[in-house]
Amino acid sequence: MLRKWVTYFALILGTLFGVTDSASAGHVENGEVTKPIQFGLTAVVVQDNLRFLDQWSQYLSDKIGHRVEFARRKSYREVMDLLDSGRIDFAWICGYPFIKKRDPEFIQLLSVPVYAGRPLYHSFIIVHKDSPDRVIEDLEGKVFAFSDPESNSGYLFPQFLLASQGKTLERHFRQTFFTYSHAETIEAVAEQVANGGAVDSYIWEYLKEKRPALVKNTRVIKKSPAFGFPPVVARIGADPKLVQKMRNILLGMSRDLEGKKFLAGLKLDGFGESPPELFDGIRDMAAMTRKALPWANAAERKKNEVAAGKE
Amino acid sequence: MKLCLRHLSSLSVKFALTITAVVAGVAFTTGAVIVTLDWQHFHRELESKSLLLAHSVSITAAGDILRNDHWSLFKSLKKMARKGTGERRENGIITAMIIDPQGVVLAHLQPNENPLGMPLALNDKTEERLLDSAKKFRTPGTLNGGFGTNGFLEGIVPILSDEKLLGFVRVRLSYRELILKAQRSAMIILGLTLALVVLGSLLGAAISRRITKPLTAMTQGIEALGRGELSDIKPITVRNDDELGILASAFNKMAKEMAEKKSLEEQIAVSEKLVALGRISAGVAHEVNNPLAGLMNCIDTLKEHPDDPELVERYLPLLDKGLNRIKSIVESLLIELRIEEAHGTDNSSSLDDLRDIVESEINGRRIDFIWENHLGDDVLINKRRVQQIVLNLLKNSVQALHDKGTVTFRTFRDGNFVILEVSDNGPGIPPEFRNHLFDPFFTTKQNGTGLGLWIVYRLVESMRGVIEVESEVGGGTQFQVSLPMMNVST
Repeated sequence: MLRKWVTYFALILGTLFGVTDSASAGHVENGEVTKPIQFGLTAVVVQDNLRFLDQWSQYLSDKIGHRVEFARRKSYREVMDLLDSGRIDFAWICGYPFIKKRDPEFIQLLSVPVYAGRPLYHSFIIVHKDSPDRVIEDLEGKVFAFSDPESNSGYLFPQFLLASQGKTLERHFRQTFFTYSHAETIEAVAEQVANGGAVDSYIWEYLKEKRPALVKNTRVIKKSPAFGFPPVVARIGADPKLVQKMRNILLGMSRDLEGKKFLAGLKLDGFGESPPELFDGIRDMAAMTRKALPWANAAERKKNEVAAGKE
Repeated sequence: MKLCLRHLSSLSVKFALTITAVVAGVAFTTGAVIVTLDWQHFHRELESKSLLLAHSVSITAAGDILRNDHWSLFKSLKKMARKGTGERRENGIITAMIIDPQGVVLAHLQPNENPLGMPLALNDKTEERLLDSAKKFRTPGTLNGGFGTNGFLEGIVPILSDEKLLGFVRVRLSYRELILKAQRSAMIILGLTLALVVLGSLLGAAISRRITKPLTAMTQGIEALGRGELSDIKPITVRNDDELGILASAFNKMAKEMAEKKSLEEQIAVSEKLVALGRISAGVAHEVNNPLAGLMNCIDTLKEHPDDPELVERYLPLLDKGLNRIKSIVESLLIELRIEEAHGTDNSSSLDDLRDIVESEINGRRIDFIWENHLGDDVLINKRRVQQIVLNLLKNSVQALHDKGTVTFRTFRDGNFVILEVSDNGPGIPPEFRNHLFDPFFTTKQNGTGLGLWIVYRLVESMRGVIEVESEVGGGTQFQVSLPMMNVST
């Protein structure tokens, strides 16, 4: 009885002083969760099925015993900032931000999804189905769509492709823009707003089933080598018990019926464990791009910062 | 009859047409005004719609342009185009675009034809003109891109950031929907107008029928009056107390009075006939009775003295004279019957036979007899009838002259009439006799029967002719008989 009153009092105080922050990570106090556990989502998954995500977060909440909420942000940069500031504990990000050097490092690898039997995916360079272009070189002087400036498949890979030929994006293409969503990149190419685009193969295949009318207007002209699938990461400062719990839940999804249902919805085989070295390919590609175009990279970084600061 | 009816029916048609024309005129004018107002209303609606749509895009456009975020610009155009999707999945948006102040495409709903970062594709002069006009806009406004179903209206909103011009949003809406709307309402209005016109003409026809029906009946009634069919006229139904009703009842009253008058006249004619018959009977009785009394006396005397030869010798001529007089009276009365039976026709020179009879009647008196027969031989006459008329008139004239004077007979053709003229310079007819000239047994002569002119009158009447008398006391007398050519030979 007394404990209940204390809780109420704390809640009222919290409300009065604005302590409650919906974006902050969940805390465990005396075995009770006062705030939901925040799980950051990015463009690596298709986020337009709200009901599915609500049900999945409910599943995670039930498993973990605390309320789990998905925090959706437009860009990887924003989600990384949320992790950095400690306002979220978990996030599903891209391999490119994962391999970026941070000092001090604030994320750790939690799990890597298994897609088509492997924790790997590709970057697709796509054009409109009626386009005469066969290779990325054909797109010279045309409009190209990227997903996110910190996306591996949606930005780093095409940049690398051109950099290896000594070309920069700015000079190769007449116009480029970021859609901050692989789905929208496909849309931009399908609508012919962009002549070409770089997308995540997983998203492209996923949408090929879910929105065939859209995807069938595009054609893949270049498939990248396999890269480590966008990983789920945890904040280093998060409660280790919670992190372990989350890891176990994700890994166990492929073993329980309900979990399988969500995996099927995501078109994934499961969440598995992979070493960080899985992402060395991306790391090497980033290094090579930087080396090939040191000046371009600096300029690019500056531009990305402007773009990311948009919201 | 036909002419009159046509006139009336044209009057009724005129009424109906006039009312129809008035109704049609009013209805069409009203319709045209409504259609025009409707069009203006729809046009204003379309204008504000285009501006509203362009505005909705321009709100976020400035930031996107500054950030070079072409995808967001395109998406806002796309959203705007989807927003307009109404119940008929037709928003009328032909195209929409965002261009920079130089006309370079920042976003376009048809990205294929209008690639990003390229100057706007200008396919024709209209497009060039529109772009030039659009570039001058500093406040939101609209431009017209031709009319008709392919015409369109363009809402243009300049994108300004801190008073710096960043570009323009252009949203192009088709007139098609507007025209369809206007056509629909025009069709409805036209339908209503036609319905009104039909109603108006029916009303007009009803009114004109209501007005002309009594008129037609009256016309037919008047025509019947003209033909003398007084008893056959049906009274016109009087419905209202208006002018037509008054006219109809006045006509009914007139027709009734005329019918009454006619029957009265017929009664009078019958009684006049009876009176004339009575007079004739009385005349016959009197005229026959007079000689009869003398004859009876003679026969009585002869009975008493059968052996007196002197008496027989003295009385026989008296008996003869009395019987002759009775015979002549009866002959005169029967003359009409005899003439009726006579059918022989002859040419007009047969009249000349009369000259000798008249000459013998003059019998050496100092009377000049002038005979002028100007009828050609081609004119055929009923010899017995015409001779009887001329002879009776000439005898009267000769007897009127006593011892000296002039008698003239002229006959000639005047149009469709044969004129017979008998004149003398005798003492004339005293005024008090003039009204009784043609009465039977009216005579001023000692031995006259009073039947000569009566017979002339009956003959002329039987041939539908006219007899005119001009007479002056002391100045002579002229009888002129006009006989229609068509009857003169029958």
